[in-house]
Amino acid sequence: MSESLSEPLIEVKDLRVEFDVRAGIVKAVDGLTLTIQRGKTLGVIGESGCGKSMTARAILNMIPKPGKITQGKIVYHRRLQNNGQSQLDDIVELTELDPDGKVIREIRGGEIGMIFQEPMSSLTPVYTVGSHINEAVALHHLTPVRKVGDQLAEQVMAHRQVTKEESREIAIKMLQRVGIPKPTERVDSYPHQLSGGQRQRVMIAIALSCEPALLIADEPTTALDVSIEAQILDIMRELQESVNMAIMFITHNLGVIASMADEIVVMYMGKAVERAKVVDLFKNAKHPYTQALLKSIPHLGKKKVGGRLASISGMVPDPFNLPTGCVFHPRCPMFMPGKCDQIAPSWTKVDEEHWVSCLLYEEV
Amino acid sequence: MAVLEQSQPMTAPAPAKQKKVGQSYASLVWWKFKRNRVAVVGGVILITFYLSFVFLPEIISPYDVQHSSDFAEAGPTPLHFVDQAGKFHLQPFVYGMEQKLDFKTRARTYVEDTTRIYPIHFFVHGDPYKLFGFIPLDIHLYGVDQKSDPQAIVLLLGADALGRDWFTRIMYGGRLSLLIGLIGQFLTLFFGTALGVVSGFYGGAVDQLIQRTTEFLSTFPEIPLFMALAAAIPPYWSPLAAYFVLTLILSFVRWGGLARQVRGLILSLREREYALAAKSAGASDARIMFRHLMPGTMSHVVVIATLAIPSMILAETALSWLGLGIRPPLTSWGVLLQDAASVRAIHNTPWELWTVPFILVTILAYNMLGDGLRDALDPYGAR
Repeated sequence: MSESLSEPLIEVKDLRVEFDVRAGIVKAVDGLTLTIQRGKTLGVIGESGCGKSMTARAILNMIPKPGKITQGKIVYHRRLQNNGQSQLDDIVELTELDPDGKVIREIRGGEIGMIFQEPMSSLTPVYTVGSHINEAVALHHLTPVRKVGDQLAEQVMAHRQVTKEESREIAIKMLQRVGIPKPTERVDSYPHQLSGGQRQRVMIAIALSCEPALLIADEPTTALDVSIEAQILDIMRELQESVNMAIMFITHNLGVIASMADEIVVMYMGKAVERAKVVDLFKNAKHPYTQALLKSIPHLGKKKVGGRLASISGMVPDPFNLPTGCVFHPRCPMFMPGKCDQIAPSWTKVDEEHWVSCLLYEEV
Repeated sequence: MAVLEQSQPMTAPAPAKQKKVGQSYASLVWWKFKRNRVAVVGGVILITFYLSFVFLPEIISPYDVQHSSDFAEAGPTPLHFVDQAGKFHLQPFVYGMEQKLDFKTRARTYVEDTTRIYPIHFFVHGDPYKLFGFIPLDIHLYGVDQKSDPQAIVLLLGADALGRDWFTRIMYGGRLSLLIGLIGQFLTLFFGTALGVVSGFYGGAVDQLIQRTTEFLSTFPEIPLFMALAAAIPPYWSPLAAYFVLTLILSFVRWGGLARQVRGLILSLREREYALAAKSAGASDARIMFRHLMPGTMSHVVVIATLAIPSMILAETALSWLGLGIRPPLTSWGVLLQDAASVRAIHNTPWELWTVPFILVTILAYNMLGDGLRDALDPYGAR
């Protein structure tokens, strides 16, 4: 546990993703820096369109067509299992890989799994649940997920392709792990025969079937109802512990992130504005945007009955015409004229493992 | 009580519905298809036609296709059950035929010679053939005993100018005509789907190239293009080789429309999240295209293909009728129509037009089947 305390898995350094559309250039991600630690959960929160999903796509080198990574690096500390004994450490620069090449395809799904917001449409409708999992397994030539201490079988099977029966067994086992009832029957179900929550579990099962080092969960519970959401989160937490997997959890639900994440990055207009440990962030938010976000959560049992919910004043700025200085300044309650609209803030350490990008905490 | 009774019929069909939920896509399609009587009839007709014309014409027809007789341009021989004496025969029979020549017009007429009775036998020994090309047999489904009397003949649909049984010719002609539709459509399907998928998935320059090519092909007037391409087949090639080249030509000109439709479907399917999910799972482009996206177009493609086979058969018929397609000695329905395509033939041997109903029924059956498939392949749709 201690050795994995601060071992970086993915380091995103000064990432910029730009979309060159007819109306101009949109900076979907603008100079983002973050680190995902091995075995830990990093929560990424922010409003819609602030670049959360683009960051996730950039990590998989899957930026959609007009978009481009124009700047920055994504360093992936790859750890290749070699016969289950020795470990080969390798550093891969993900943005420099050919987006259709063999290496990135091995990493996608095999080492970095991803689950999406819409479980309803993320499964190919013509294939059964089992064949989806089998495909993931077959693509990465993986052997079954085994219990600890099953070393001998591991040795034997390390470099063998799985047979059909084994593959089916893996699929059933994975369905069982994500808590799908009657997995032996469900493995032959088609996506339309499952409920939304079950489909999302299947997505998780697919992502986990290859034991990835990182799971990117892009708003995995947004489309689900609250009770299913709680179950899915439980399953993810449980599985994370058992396979020591890092999770990059993208959401705009502050309640969910509070229960899941170890560390949180708050994003606004493609930039990270605050980064802190989860407790720190909720107890002691520094950035005016984070503070405003936290204030906008409705609280049960608050004394003032009938009051309006706090909201952030103003609108999300036009992406073609970003404000000068700090991008948040037109909506900021602590706006300092002459300062915030002229000087772009930089990372300031305000506490142990707590950084913020705001001129309030910077000495200028 | 009244309420209870009313609710009874509501709950009764529930188990059947429940069962439907657990069924696979294929069984749902089959369930829906079965309920469409017209489509089932079409399917049964086609299966019968393909079985009898493609696989078993040697058995079903009474003679070999090249078996010519003395009865040139003889009309259909009538089947009789009651003889001159008024006696009823359970086994149908035909009378022998006598040729009469009208010395004024030089026209041949045939009269029945009621003294000679030839009963129709089933599974009679006749012209030898090789079933499926390798099983030597001489059994025919029906016929008259020719070994005992060479003058015995049964011509259900008359004979052509060489005295060949027209029914036999239709059977053998159906083999090529039906196969060219199927094989040609299969090739079209292959080219059209593959190119359409690639075109829709990649977009950009690839898309432009493929789409402009299909436009280029579709701007040609079809018949002159066929004529030019068919004329390019060297005359010294065997008719069979020419036949296959013709199939290729037909499908080569026709893949464009299908490619365009598949492209349109892929354009929408590739934006689905499951395409993204497949990519994020490490699937290659080819895998995403052909494993994840292409199946989504299949129900559409199958219907298009089924409805397009008749036009393929008709194209072959038209080309052969023009003398550009299949050449004698090979027989196809187009070749048979060509035989019948003169005023003289229509006047003297009108039974040669029996080819037409066979073509009509085939095409009708395909359309019935295609319509049924279109409804059935979307089992979750309304209706």
